[in-house]
Amino acid sequence: MKTLRRFLSPLLILALVLGSVSVSAAPLPASELVSTQAALSAERADADRERINEILSRADVQEQLVAQGVDPAEVEARVAALSDEEARQMAEQLDQLPAGASVVGALVLIFLVLLVTDILGLTNVFPFTR
Amino acid sequence: MKDDMQNRFMPLRKNARFAGVFLMGLWLFMLVGCASTPRLTESTEQALPQQTLIEDVPFHAQREYQCGPASLAMVLNHDGADVAMERLIPQVFLPGREGSVQPEMLATVRRHGRIPYVLDNSFDALLTEIAAGHPVVVMQNLALPAWPMWHYAVAIGYDLEAEEMTVHSGEEAARIESFRRFDATWARSDRWAFVALAPGEMPSGIGEQHALQAIAAFEQVQGAEAAVPAWEALVARFPDSGMGYFALGNARHAAGDASGAIAAFRASVAHRDDLGVAWLNLGLLLGAQGETGEARQALGRAADLPGQWQPRAREALQRL
Repeated sequence: MKTLRRFLSPLLILALVLGSVSVSAAPLPASELVSTQAALSAERADADRERINEILSRADVQEQLVAQGVDPAEVEARVAALSDEEARQMAEQLDQLPAGASVVGALVLIFLVLLVTDILGLTNVFPFTR
Repeated sequence: MKDDMQNRFMPLRKNARFAGVFLMGLWLFMLVGCASTPRLTESTEQALPQQTLIEDVPFHAQREYQCGPASLAMVLNHDGADVAMERLIPQVFLPGREGSVQPEMLATVRRHGRIPYVLDNSFDALLTEIAAGHPVVVMQNLALPAWPMWHYAVAIGYDLEAEEMTVHSGEEAARIESFRRFDATWARSDRWAFVALAPGEMPSGIGEQHALQAIAAFEQVQGAEAAVPAWEALVARFPDSGMGYFALGNARHAAGDASGAIAAFRASVAHRDDLGVAWLNLGLLLGAQGETGEARQALGRAADLPGQWQPRAREALQRL
């Protein structure tokens, strides 16, 4: 990923710079309005750097999802549906994000503690304690 | 003799048991923190009906690890989205984590044409949404912070008097949980919850910025045309939202409604005279419609306002 980043970053910076150059050089069709997403993200500082990070984190998330066993055919659509904020969150801390699953895989000691806390109504692991 | 012995040791045994229970209790208290029945603010309590049950939420029993897809299927199907749970599994389940993570839960809602709104982290917001007829996906940690057991469930009802929640959870439909137990397990996810609503509907307690971001993220996935009703609902809820009218203008323009877009951009600058980007889009669109005079005025205003859009406005003004 590091090498990919090193390789991609200059390309992206170049692409963005060229992109903004062409805006000022060639006349755009007048229908080219500023999008809502661009306007919202421009309200935050460092909009350009954020855009680069956005693109990189989406590539990053794609890789991580494949590594987590997601069908490669599904990965692109899954990443595309994330908001920019969510893509960044996934890229930075997928390992720490809680994954809702609910299985009882507790050890005996933990079992006993959880049994007591269940009876006290603090947890809800075992259905028979209610 | 035997009686004598017993009598002599009884007080000691009693004390030992008492001390043990006390220590256990203290340790548990330190482990889990204080759990108590959640309190509603008075205004919420008066506004809410005593009890609510959203009857027509379909139940999908979760198989191993699949509470994420199952919960999504329940709220999406309730809102009329025809998607099978089997289809949702490859879209949201992470095999490596044996579960589903929060950002992807929200993303999957977008893929099926609904807008995910994360609620305020409060019991009030949760019950208010249920009372409005919106089933709510909640994230719980059923076990303790030290050994988490993360779980998604769908809250479909409550009873204020009995202090009970009704949730579709795991393999049990419409299961009853006391407020106290439910909140103890929910609080460990910082009370994370969301509703999946069709464009045009909004949760009652949501803030303007939060709604803007949620709809903009939806628009990015589903396109501007699909988002038009959502932006219309936003400006109806927040009639002073300059940014909301700006977004509505963009969506209408993308849907081919030029005059509607111009009206929305005008409303935007009427509410926020300093919103350069709205003046810019208004000017660009008026120019494209051949209204050169008005376009010049709008672009002139945009070119006067300092900020990121100033160079673009100046240049558009020159080209006019």
